[in-house]
Amino acid sequence: MNDLIPYISSSIRDSLASLNFFRAEISLVMGFLVVILSDLFFSKRYPQLSFILTLSTLVLVAYQSSGFLKMVSTPLFGGMIIMDHLAILFKLLFCLASILFVLFIRFNRAFQNHDKGFGDMYSILLAVHLGLNLMAMSANLLMVYLSLEMVSLGSYLMVGYLSAGQRQTEAAMKYALFGAVCSAIMLYGISLLYGFTGTLYLNDPAFLSGLHNIPRMASALALILVFIGIAFKLSLVPLHFWSPDVYEGAPTPVTAFLSTAPKIAGFAVLIKFLEIFYDPESKALSSSILDLNFVLAFLAILSMLLGNFVAIWQNNVKRMLAYSSIGHTGFMLMGLFIFSASGFKAIIFYMTVYVIMNMAAFLIVDEIEEKTGKQYINEYKGLGKKNSLLMISLLIVLVSLTGLPPTVGFTAKFLVFSTALEAYNLSGLPILMIMIITASLSTIVSLFYYFKVPLNAFLRETSGPVQISTRSPKVYMGVFLAFLLLLLIIFPALLEHII
Amino acid sequence: MIPLSHFMLISAGLFCIGLFAVLTRRNAIQVLIGIEFMINAAVLNFVAFGKYDKISGGGQMFALFAIVLAAAGVAVALAIILNVYKYFKSIDPSKTNTLKD
Repeated sequence: MNDLIPYISSSIRDSLASLNFFRAEISLVMGFLVVILSDLFFSKRYPQLSFILTLSTLVLVAYQSSGFLKMVSTPLFGGMIIMDHLAILFKLLFCLASILFVLFIRFNRAFQNHDKGFGDMYSILLAVHLGLNLMAMSANLLMVYLSLEMVSLGSYLMVGYLSAGQRQTEAAMKYALFGAVCSAIMLYGISLLYGFTGTLYLNDPAFLSGLHNIPRMASALALILVFIGIAFKLSLVPLHFWSPDVYEGAPTPVTAFLSTAPKIAGFAVLIKFLEIFYDPESKALSSSILDLNFVLAFLAILSMLLGNFVAIWQNNVKRMLAYSSIGHTGFMLMGLFIFSASGFKAIIFYMTVYVIMNMAAFLIVDEIEEKTGKQYINEYKGLGKKNSLLMISLLIVLVSLTGLPPTVGFTAKFLVFSTALEAYNLSGLPILMIMIITASLSTIVSLFYYFKVPLNAFLRETSGPVQISTRSPKVYMGVFLAFLLLLLIIFPALLEHII
Repeated sequence: MIPLSHFMLISAGLFCIGLFAVLTRRNAIQVLIGIEFMINAAVLNFVAFGKYDKISGGGQMFALFAIVLAAAGVAVALAIILNVYKYFKSIDPSKTNTLKD
C-alpha cells in the first residue's frame, strides 16, 4: 500500500480540476436532493414546487452542458469519463427528452390524481438523468456498468410508480426481472474482459491488445456477453421481448421517456465500445475477434424487419408504437458504420428528430386515451372530424415517423441512408447493401401501420365521435411539436449548427 | 496457492446455475436468487483477477460496487414483486400474462 502514497496528491489535484467540467452533473445531484427535500416538507403547501424545481434544474443543466459544446476530448477523473463534443450532444438530447417528459407528467391526469403525487417521480427522473449523462461520457467499464444500472433501476421504478392495476405491475415485473438478468450477464462479460485484458479502461491500448492475445472464442464470448447488456437497453431484436409489454403496460409518459432517452444512452455506450475497434486507415470497424460489421448489420436487419412487420398486426396504439420504435432502433444502427463526424451528425440528427416525434406521438395518444378512453386503433373511427387540429398534428407526427416529406423525419432518414451508402462504398460489404435495401423496404411497410390511424380517424364513420377540448396543455404541446417537425425541414440549419 | 483457473471454473459453474434457475424457476423470487448467483459469479471473477492488478485495484473496486448495486436491484425488484402479488395473488411470471400479442 505504501507505494501508492506518492500518487495521492496528484490524483486529488486531478479530481479537483475535473470538478470544473462536471458542473452539470453537480447541479443534477443538488437538484435531486432539493427536489426530495422540497417534496418532503413543502408538498402540502406548494404542490407545484417539485415540478418547478425539476424543470429549472434541467434547464440549468442544459445551459451548463451547452457551455462545453465546442470542447475537444478531455479525460476527467483519471480517465474514468471522457468529455467530448459527441458526449455533450448526447447530454443536450437527454435534456430535451427529460424536459418534455417533465411537462408530460405534469399534465397527465393519472399522475396528477395519484395519491403519491409526482414529486418522487421527479426525483427519480433527476437520478436517471444523472445516470444517462454518465453513460454518455463513461470511458471505463466500471463507469459503464454503474451508470447503466443507475438508469435501469430508475426505469424499473418509473414503470411501477403508479402501480395502478394488473397491467402496470406486470410490466414493471417483466422489465425488472429481464433487465436484471441482462445486466448480470453483462457484468459477467465485463469480469471476463477485465480478466483477459487486465484493465477497465476502454481506451487503454492494453485493452485491445489483451483481447487479441487470448483465444478468439474466449474474447468473442466476453464481448457478446457485454453486447447483450447494451442490446437490452436498445431493445434490439433478440432481446426485444420486454419492450412491447413494458411500453403497453407502463404509464404513457414513462413509455415516451423509455423509448427515447435510455435508448439513446444505449447508443452512446455502444459507440464507446465500437470506437475501440475503429480502424482509422480504412475508416471502418475492423476486428479479428468478431466480424462487427456483419453482426451489427444483421441485428439492424432483424430489428427493422421484425419491428415493422409485427407492428402491422397490432391494434393497441402504444403497442404499435413500441414495435415501430424497435424498427427505428434498427434504423439508427445503420448510422454506426461510419465513424466520422458526418456519420455521427446523421445519427444525432435522427435521434433529435426521433425524440421530438416519439414524444409528440405519445402525448397525443395519451390525450386521446385520457379524454375518450380509446386506446385501440379501430376505436379511432371518426375522431378526425371533430378534433381536426389534434388529429392533423398526429398525422404530421406519423408522416414524420414514416420518414416522408414535408416533415423533418424525411431529412433525418435521408441523412442516415446517405451515411449507410457511404459506408457501403467504402467497404463494399454485401451485407451493408442488404441492410440498406431492408431499410427502404421496411419504410414502405411502415406506411401500412402508421396510416391505419389517420385512415380510421378521417375516413371511417362511426356513431357518436367524441369531441376533445383543445384547451389542454397537452394538445398545445402536441401541436407545437408537430409544428416543429414541419419547421425543421425548412430550416434544418436550426438544428445543424448545434451539431 | 490455488490457481486462477479454479476460480474461473467455479464462477462459470455459478453463472450457469444462476442462468438455469432464471430460465426454469416459476417463482419470481427464485428467479431473483438465480440473478444473484450470476452477479456473484462475476464478483468472484473480479476478486480473483483483482489479485493480479495491485496498482489500480480495479477488480476489488468493481466487486464492491457490484455487490452494492445487486442489493439495490433486489430491493427494487422485491418492491415490484410485492405489488404484483397484490394484484395477481401469485408471483409466477408465467401466470402474469395480461400483456401479450
